[in-house]
Amino acid sequence: MNKFSEEKLAKVKELISHYPEGKQKSALLPVLHIAQDTFGGWLSADTMDYVAELLSINPIEVYEVATFYSMYNLKPVGKYMFEVCQTGPCMLKGCDDIIGYIGNTLGIKPGETTTDGLFTLKTVECLGACGYAPMMQLGKSYREHLTKEKVDAIIAECRKSAATNN
Amino acid sequence: MGVKLLLEKAHVEGIRGYEVYRREGGYRSVEKAIKTMSPEAIVEEVKKSGLRGRGGAGFPAGMKWSFIAKPESVPRHLVCNADESEPGTFKDRYLMEFLPHLLIEGLIVASFALGSNATYIYIRGEYAWVAEILEYAIGEAKTNGFLGKNILGSGFDCEIYVHRGAGAYICGEETALIESLEGKRGNPRIKPPFPAIQGAWLRPTVVNNVETLAAVVPIINMGGEEYAKIGVGKSTGTKLMSACGNINRPGVYEIDMTISVEEFIYSDEYCGGIAGGKRLKACIPGGSSVPILPANLLLKTAKGETRYMNYESLSDGGFATGSMMGSGGFIVLDEDQCVVKNTYTFARFYRHESCGQCSPCREGTGWMEKLLLRLEKGQGKISDIDLLWDIQRKIEGNTICPLGDAAAWPVAAAIRHFRDEFEWHVTHPDEAQVKNYGLAHYADPIHVPA
Repeated sequence: MNKFSEEKLAKVKELISHYPEGKQKSALLPVLHIAQDTFGGWLSADTMDYVAELLSINPIEVYEVATFYSMYNLKPVGKYMFEVCQTGPCMLKGCDDIIGYIGNTLGIKPGETTTDGLFTLKTVECLGACGYAPMMQLGKSYREHLTKEKVDAIIAECRKSAATNN
Repeated sequence: MGVKLLLEKAHVEGIRGYEVYRREGGYRSVEKAIKTMSPEAIVEEVKKSGLRGRGGAGFPAGMKWSFIAKPESVPRHLVCNADESEPGTFKDRYLMEFLPHLLIEGLIVASFALGSNATYIYIRGEYAWVAEILEYAIGEAKTNGFLGKNILGSGFDCEIYVHRGAGAYICGEETALIESLEGKRGNPRIKPPFPAIQGAWLRPTVVNNVETLAAVVPIINMGGEEYAKIGVGKSTGTKLMSACGNINRPGVYEIDMTISVEEFIYSDEYCGGIAGGKRLKACIPGGSSVPILPANLLLKTAKGETRYMNYESLSDGGFATGSMMGSGGFIVLDEDQCVVKNTYTFARFYRHESCGQCSPCREGTGWMEKLLLRLEKGQGKISDIDLLWDIQRKIEGNTICPLGDAAAWPVAAAIRHFRDEFEWHVTHPDEAQVKNYGLAHYADPIHVPA
């Protein structure tokens, strides 16, 4: 089973220290973020049980939280997840065309992952970048003012990064 | 140029770092507050300023602070609501990203006033890089003696922690935010007890929006009375507006609430007019949950008076012919936009974000989404419009938290003002798939192209 490195365990300990004594459950959201980043971009039942153990809480307390928040992935996702906003302000600026273009280019529909496991396309609700629409979240960054050309460049950038990292 | 109290220095090179921020006069309010004022005097100053909560509800901030309970030996907490998620709103992100020390400065003063030794910034999970900027700035403030133990020799200790959420609009509601801070699902609590009595970990807690807390800095520096002189009536000080949609210059603007809606949209200092030389059709002036207004009611009130960018004027006419300042998320629709489709995306948003605790909201938001999609696709019936009206009426006011109202209002306003566009989708189902209804009688009557 996957376990955190010493360095990450120290980070967990530090996070717990931010909250009142005995309220270590408060660190659950931040610790789940670390777990997801560490263990392949998603939260398996094993990972969630491990987090429960770290925080001395019941596994069910982790499951109920992991299933509530949209940023936690409960299934494996592609190495690069394109989370494209589709709420009103982005719709006014043509996000439907961008979503369609990404789907056609990668040969997948929203919610799907390419067979090589590189890309997942996901439609999401407002990410707070309405003035810079259309936009998407890619990992920890926002890609804004999207055009078809920009999408092509982002896909090429991801492929290049995957080729050099593997 | 209007008065700038928050973003005046946003373009100073290096202002994100402590050195430049301090050189430009940063942290003076902390020195003034901690060295020369009592916590009560700070609360009094904020009351005098007339500052209203900038998150959306517009509740007087000083009054909120004065409600905090002070039982013996029970710690109190200040929590900064940085869960900015109302569609159309991105001002807090701008403030935190470019002026992180301004927020931290306001947080230190507010923490001192409220007696919070552990203060939290609850930031939406997607703003991951902004959280890193804040953490770096907190480290700088600490190194320079503005955070940590015995701040400026006062005996006051304060730590600020950044807590990242994980994608849930509902966590912008203060009791859901507190639940989330405690590591739980973001289900709003039944009130009372209010957070000021029993908030985080059942301790007295004040939750304030990012912009509200940043505004404490100019209030302390200039004094509450001087701050209250800016603006008009009960809309004191300045307000950050996030402008988006079909305009030439989308972005974040600081306004002093005396300018007209027309100036805000058409002036090159702000939105710069409608993009592509098109005409203004409608606008949602305060974030997705406030009523949409057709151009004619947006620029002038029902009485034919100029409408201004402040709390009172934007709500002039109530929901019948007015809207709300809300969070300041200003969404502009041009003549080629479809109100039915726009309303559908909002309904989908609220269905996605409903926490599911209250059945009127859980069931109603999904039902509204389905009906709106059917209408938008040209598969609806006239009776669907009445059914939508009926559903939104039954959600409003019948839920624990305001998400139900937030989901109901946009649907109600869209039907109230654009009913003929909804009906056209039913009577012209094929046409509705290839073109938009257009301007009809909604158009901006002032700016008519030659």
